[in-house]
Amino acid sequence: MTGGCTLRGAPAFPIMGAYFPGWMACALIGVATAVGLRVLFLLTGLDALLNFRLFTYVALGVIAALTVWTLVFGP
Amino acid sequence: MQRIPVSSKKPVGILIAVLCVGAATAFGIHVSHEDSAHPSSDSGIIDAEVVHIASVVGGRLKELNVSVNQHVHKGDVLYRIDPEPYELTLRQARANLDLASAEVENQTRLLSVKTSNAATAGDQVSRAQTNRDLAARTVERLQPLAGKSYIPWQQYDQARVALHDAEISLAQSRIQSTAATTAIGDLKSSIAARDASQAAYDRVRYELRQTTIIAPADGYVTSLRVKVGEVLAPSQSLFTLIADNEWYAMANIREGDLDAVGIGDCVTVHSMIDRNTPIRGHVESIGWGVLSVDSSGIARSLPLVPRQMDWVHVAQRFPVRIQLEKANPLLLRLGATATVEVRHGAACP
Repeated sequence: MTGGCTLRGAPAFPIMGAYFPGWMACALIGVATAVGLRVLFLLTGLDALLNFRLFTYVALGVIAALTVWTLVFGP
Repeated sequence: MQRIPVSSKKPVGILIAVLCVGAATAFGIHVSHEDSAHPSSDSGIIDAEVVHIASVVGGRLKELNVSVNQHVHKGDVLYRIDPEPYELTLRQARANLDLASAEVENQTRLLSVKTSNAATAGDQVSRAQTNRDLAARTVERLQPLAGKSYIPWQQYDQARVALHDAEISLAQSRIQSTAATTAIGDLKSSIAARDASQAAYDRVRYELRQTTIIAPADGYVTSLRVKVGEVLAPSQSLFTLIADNEWYAMANIREGDLDAVGIGDCVTVHSMIDRNTPIRGHVESIGWGVLSVDSSGIARSLPLVPRQMDWVHVAQRFPVRIQLEKANPLLLRLGATATVEVRHGAACP
């Protein structure tokens, strides 16, 4: 929990005069993480080990998004 | 060309997939539970109490000591209404009061005169009584003498007439005495008139005082758009004072999360004027009612029940009032957007 201290602020982000909720940023981070891991695993050859790749990458993205949420906005 | 089978059965791959999906599901349930246990809202507003500044009396605005957006302190003179009409009315009321007071003194003198008259009438009764007793004794003495003709019958007759006169005089003086006592009366009506005049005078004096309007609380002047010379009706609001001694945040929390909101709970509030500065607050109260479409309708009429087949119902939200502790005044503007985090966030370790 201490890692998120520097990121602490209101759980909403102003973009062009509109406030976007924090969980939306977390969801974007999750999607980006899933894509990034896919690229990383393809390059390192880890991808060949996987089965049910769609579910695996979606689950990894969800875990990343929830981790960010817990660290930054969680209690 | 090599064909890659879509679902080749690799035990390691299956294990990783099951682990990842299981971990994601468990983590998701945990986070959902945590979120529900620590309600938050990003649609709160900064709120404060306001006073619509007005005078209970009307008149022309003669002196305006504040300008819009100015900060004032409790007791400061905000503006004055032309006091002249009220000063004139006060003089009139003063004269009426003096008149009524003089009438009380006059009535007091009259009362004393009437009391003396009544006393005199009482004395007359005792004098008539004495005269009548003398006449009665005279008749009593003369009766045996007249019976034996020692005195002329005429003399006895005169004595009886004198007794009759004295009895009539006694009866008359008694009636006069009663009348004089009744006529004394009292000061009740004149004192009541004086009290009425006094009340009217006090009322006008109050109205004269109300031509000077003082700040009822510390705060900021807003919505002031007029200058000196404006004619104000009684109770017409000239501007709004935002009291700045207590600030609040109002946040709508879903009904399902209200059991996690307790009175006095620590709250982290971020005013979006500066989203990096947390403001500490505590839950002051939770709203007891909101107007809902299903409960609206005219009172005493029949309930308005729309025909519908909604399977998904959006949760009702209730306003939670959060009292803010000391904060930078620049972050506190009535109506500013605020995010609210109950029992967590930067201000609630």
